[in-house]
Amino acid sequence: MKTFEKILLRNMEQPGYTGSLADYERAGGYQALKTVLGGVSPADVIETVKQSGLRGRGGAGFPTGVKWSFIPKDHPGPKYLCCNADESEPGTFKDRQLMERDPHQVLEGMAIACYAIGAQTAYIYIRGEFRLGATILRRAIAEARQAGHLGTNIYGSGVTVNIHVHEGAGAYICGEETALLESLEGKRGKPRTKPPFPATHGLYQKPTVVNNVETLANVPHIVNRGGAWYAAIGVPPKSPGTRIFCLSGHVQRPGNYELPVNATFRDLIEELGGGMRSDKPLKAFIPGGASAPFLTPEHLDVQLDFESVARAGSMSGSGGVTVMEEGTNMVWVALRLMEFFYHESCGKCTPCREGSAWIVQILQRILNRQGRQDDLQTLLDICGNIGGRTVCAFGDAEIAPVQSTLKYWRSEYEALIAEADVLATSRKAIPVLSV
Amino acid sequence: MATATSQQLVTVTIDGISTQVPAGTLVIEAARQLGVMVPHFCYHPKLEPDANCRMCLVEIEKFPKLQTSCSTRVADGMIVRCSGAQVEAARQSVLELILGNHPLDCPVCDQGGRCDLQDFSHEYTPTAGRFKELKRVFPKQYLGPVIETQMNRCVSCMRCVRYCDEVIDAQALAPVGRGTLTQITHWAGHELECDMCGGCIQICPVGAITSRLSMYDFRPWMLKRTDTICAYCGDGCQITVQQKNNQLIEVNSALGAGRNNGDLCVRGYFGYHASTHASRVRQPLMRQANGSLADVTWEDALEHVARQFMALRNTYGADAIGGFITARCTNEDLYLFQKFMRLVVGTNQIDSSARYGYINGVRALRRVQGTHRWTVRYEDIVQADGIMLVGTQLHATNPVTAIQVKEAVKRGGASLVTLEALLPARSTVSNITTLARHHLTVQRGRFDAAILGLLKAVCEGNLIHEEIAGQAPQFVNAIRAKVVSVAWHVIQEQSGLSQTDCEAAVRTYARAERAVLLVGQDVLRSLGGEGMVTNLLDLQMLTGHLRRQGSGLGCLAEENNEQGAVEMGAVAEYLPGPADLHDEGARAVLAQAWGDDVPTGASATLVDMVRRAKTGSIKALFIVGENPVASLPPDAQVSEALESLEFVVCQEMFLTETAKRAHVVLPACSSMEKNGTFTNTEGHVQRVRQAVETRGESRPDWEMFSALSVLMNRPVEYADAKSLLREIRGAVPGYTLLGPTSVPPRVDEETVARYVADGFKDDLDRRYALRPSSVPPAPSVIPAHAGIQLTLRLVQSLYHSGKYSTRAKGLMGIQGEGRLQINTSMARRLGIGEGDTVRLVNERGQATTSVTLSNRVPDDVAWFPEHFDQAVRVLFSSQVDTQTGVPVWKTADVMLETVRECRTEGQP
Repeated sequence: MKTFEKILLRNMEQPGYTGSLADYERAGGYQALKTVLGGVSPADVIETVKQSGLRGRGGAGFPTGVKWSFIPKDHPGPKYLCCNADESEPGTFKDRQLMERDPHQVLEGMAIACYAIGAQTAYIYIRGEFRLGATILRRAIAEARQAGHLGTNIYGSGVTVNIHVHEGAGAYICGEETALLESLEGKRGKPRTKPPFPATHGLYQKPTVVNNVETLANVPHIVNRGGAWYAAIGVPPKSPGTRIFCLSGHVQRPGNYELPVNATFRDLIEELGGGMRSDKPLKAFIPGGASAPFLTPEHLDVQLDFESVARAGSMSGSGGVTVMEEGTNMVWVALRLMEFFYHESCGKCTPCREGSAWIVQILQRILNRQGRQDDLQTLLDICGNIGGRTVCAFGDAEIAPVQSTLKYWRSEYEALIAEADVLATSRKAIPVLSV
Repeated sequence: MATATSQQLVTVTIDGISTQVPAGTLVIEAARQLGVMVPHFCYHPKLEPDANCRMCLVEIEKFPKLQTSCSTRVADGMIVRCSGAQVEAARQSVLELILGNHPLDCPVCDQGGRCDLQDFSHEYTPTAGRFKELKRVFPKQYLGPVIETQMNRCVSCMRCVRYCDEVIDAQALAPVGRGTLTQITHWAGHELECDMCGGCIQICPVGAITSRLSMYDFRPWMLKRTDTICAYCGDGCQITVQQKNNQLIEVNSALGAGRNNGDLCVRGYFGYHASTHASRVRQPLMRQANGSLADVTWEDALEHVARQFMALRNTYGADAIGGFITARCTNEDLYLFQKFMRLVVGTNQIDSSARYGYINGVRALRRVQGTHRWTVRYEDIVQADGIMLVGTQLHATNPVTAIQVKEAVKRGGASLVTLEALLPARSTVSNITTLARHHLTVQRGRFDAAILGLLKAVCEGNLIHEEIAGQAPQFVNAIRAKVVSVAWHVIQEQSGLSQTDCEAAVRTYARAERAVLLVGQDVLRSLGGEGMVTNLLDLQMLTGHLRRQGSGLGCLAEENNEQGAVEMGAVAEYLPGPADLHDEGARAVLAQAWGDDVPTGASATLVDMVRRAKTGSIKALFIVGENPVASLPPDAQVSEALESLEFVVCQEMFLTETAKRAHVVLPACSSMEKNGTFTNTEGHVQRVRQAVETRGESRPDWEMFSALSVLMNRPVEYADAKSLLREIRGAVPGYTLLGPTSVPPRVDEETVARYVADGFKDDLDRRYALRPSSVPPAPSVIPAHAGIQLTLRLVQSLYHSGKYSTRAKGLMGIQGEGRLQINTSMARRLGIGEGDTVRLVNERGQATTSVTLSNRVPDDVAWFPEHFDQAVRVLFSSQVDTQTGVPVWKTADVMLETVRECRTEGQP
């Protein structure tokens, strides 16, 4: 693998770096904000971000600069920025590290974003379990206010940015941007029907940008070093930059690894992750969080960028890469993930609400050697009836484990059902009259 | 919102048929207009689209995926397919998924036979399902005394939750849990406390929320339905009464039907049992020699009444007889009653319960703008951009009018100004003042001072409309001179409203383009009510709202047909029309129609009649459906008056306190048991239809008047209520077409011109003078046991209407007793807790009652529901408005004392 420069993890990997304001400033922190407030117009900031090609790191990969440009310029009344820190995708743990280890990098990104879109108030909607992260962020916000990086009339520019931390109460769906807004408004976290989009009708029906933590953390660097610099990294023009990949599962060295997206899964798993944890070979990996369809060893040389992973039949999503070794029961894996989705389905849309429960019951039966021949067709039908039929992307996400395990490891399902058939013949059936 | 947002037309093609619809129309509505029904659960025209059930997915060209037709708005050239393999597969799958966890308990479900899930399953699914797993099971829940939930049947469409929030503004229901374990329930599992409007039951597409009043009593196809009008408040909602074997089973309402457009309140939805209460008078009763009332035949009773009336008339003259009728009767009853009294008996001494305050409003409207009806309709309320409520307690007295105001504010963004004698505290029961942009809490019921404050702010804030300033400078100057002379601190002292409050309120209201002002019982039923309404009309005039189309002032009727009672001439001052009693032209027309002269004797209001009874000039009273003995406080001496009479006839459904003192009681039937018309507070004449057979031998009121007229040798006979209506049409304008009138009456320009020229002068001094202040000492805790001085007010509860509703078992289940409501923080200061017993004392007597705490009651006031006022009646005294004869008795100064219960040591 070629050598590369880390962007987001660089500071925190310096020995003795604590993430304090002093440390961050010593590492060149808040220079970007000073530059921007020193006379760069909001439109130019947005232009720079657009030029960088930065795409959302939460999962969908929407171009950040374009999202910012959707905010109506002449809107009277408040606009909002929400930092989506509700990192709950199984196998994803990068935002947590960014917030806990280098909080000011995120805050500076937020301040610049606020300036660019004309928001004076920003919220960090942080996953409820991230108590440490919330504490660290609150302390960092206080430090930054004290030092004049946040608050009213920052650096005498007349610009005001106030950042508030809001803890979620433990619902995966609140990571969906409109459900996040509902929750932030004090309502039940359920996705809204789009359109209208948050850019015009967001928090309290005001223009709102929702960005992921990692996305915002990139912004100061882009401002400091220029959009063109960032656009040259990775796989330009569509997927530039580095990403933090969260490596977990049956590997030697799980952890967060930042690398440019022109690297491959082989680079990530074998080189950085040190390969498999035992002598059992790789069987499967999830390339982008639990919502992404499984890939197989033949996909190891796929590049990490959005398009390459999509071409391979999956998505790079949140960057959570979970590795499974030979011998892993894929039906069990599918069930394990489905149980998560069943638990987290908000219940708004019929297909997702009822379908997830049904799939779980069928998978449990198959694993308990009570599967039936028609179960696999039923599973595929249910998945087909969920995908594309729900308000938010949760529906598309939850069917990925079932569909992809059935695609690559259907024989495992069939073997379990065959075992059930053997057992079934030994049971005495109650005669039923059929017409 | 379901309705289109623009008048611009776009072309859309649905299932091959092209049509033009306003831009912004929802695809599902466009399809409906073409006769294509797209199946749906969560969509409802009254609610914002939520697109959660996914049943209404359709194919739209250029969209890669199926779209929910309930949330997608049409665009020009859009091509939609509501059928086809893909759409049908999607529908089938949604139903398969819903049916998976559905209990399929249709045989015992109250919704069975009128269930969307049944209908859609029948139409769109194969007969066998593939779901062979375990169904999740919720236990059934009772949400309070009248509502039950069966969450296993729920399809999670959230219509109930959304209706409760968006339409009723109560936010009493919420989904709890998530995914397939989502249940609809009240917050935190508390007993449901809400408006109890039944909207959640009605809007549920399946049988997940049902009424406990009729649970398991019926199958929908056994029910016989009758569309009629609710007999509780003046809103005049259309209800569908469902009966089985002549028993009332349920009441519901239909979207698009009636003034209520499918909405109802607790009284309409759960109050229908009042008319079938076991204590109904089923037979004519006559006083016996031993003083008791005993059953007699109709012949005996009617002959006796006719004989007595004729004998008294022969001995003392026609003016020895007076009549008093309830405004809950139909127009036909009211009309014939006044005709009977005038023509057959020969007296003008008649009055109705409109005298309790509604008459104040009509008198003022006639005087200033020359109409007796509102110049606005519900539609104008919804479209208004400025609404002012003065003394209405709208959410409690006229809940469906309140829904129009809520829609105007929540959907239309209207600015609401409320002057109410309550605090804007939020709870899961709706409170109209929480929606107000400016809420002004009027203290001690001093609406007169509050209204002066508004007028002062208008005059001093340059808010006088240039048109009136140019047309009637002397009118403007006279009022300005009056209000300028009242100091702000006096207004504040008396009403509690500051200059800033009043200025902010009128600034918002005066600037509105379409401004509606609603006046309620707190104004109409108080001393000087007519003057206050006149002053509010002055306000309308000054701000330019009086004559503008879509703007106007409305007085709210508390009883269902108070407007009709006035129009039928069943009040002291009016002939049918209403025309003034001494209007020669009207008398001539009436004489021609009746074939006899209208009597020339003096009229008498209720209070006049009571007084004349006591002095002996009235010897007999004919009381129809009214209960003045229990309504008026003891010091009005109604019962003494009745005792001094030679003959009292009551036509009643129940043996009320008044009927018990009668010589003859004639059993009347309820509005569920007769035909006729009611005129609602807006002035719409609506058909009342018989839904069940009469109970016992009870008869419609008008039939009894007719029968008596025959026996009194001056027959006024009619084949049925319709032929009576035919006669009414000749005498009263506005009764030709039934149902909603598309155009409300316009202000009579001549009357307005006369009024601003010099008509206003007559009582200007009185109207613009503040009543002497009777400010009680500021509430302060007097040490131990001594208590606190406060104003006790009889208020209307949302859950009841008069005393009639206290016979409805559903409503009694919700609120079965009267409890004193006091402010929570004041109670805390006094050490009084929920359910504690307190004593109320004043110079007239004392009463003991239990307490309930509320954040809505202002600090210096205590509320007691008037429906249960027997317990506290002794504390009140009545005063009579010298101008209008309106008896006023709803407030009293009392001392509240805590009653320390003696508790044995060691016991809780």
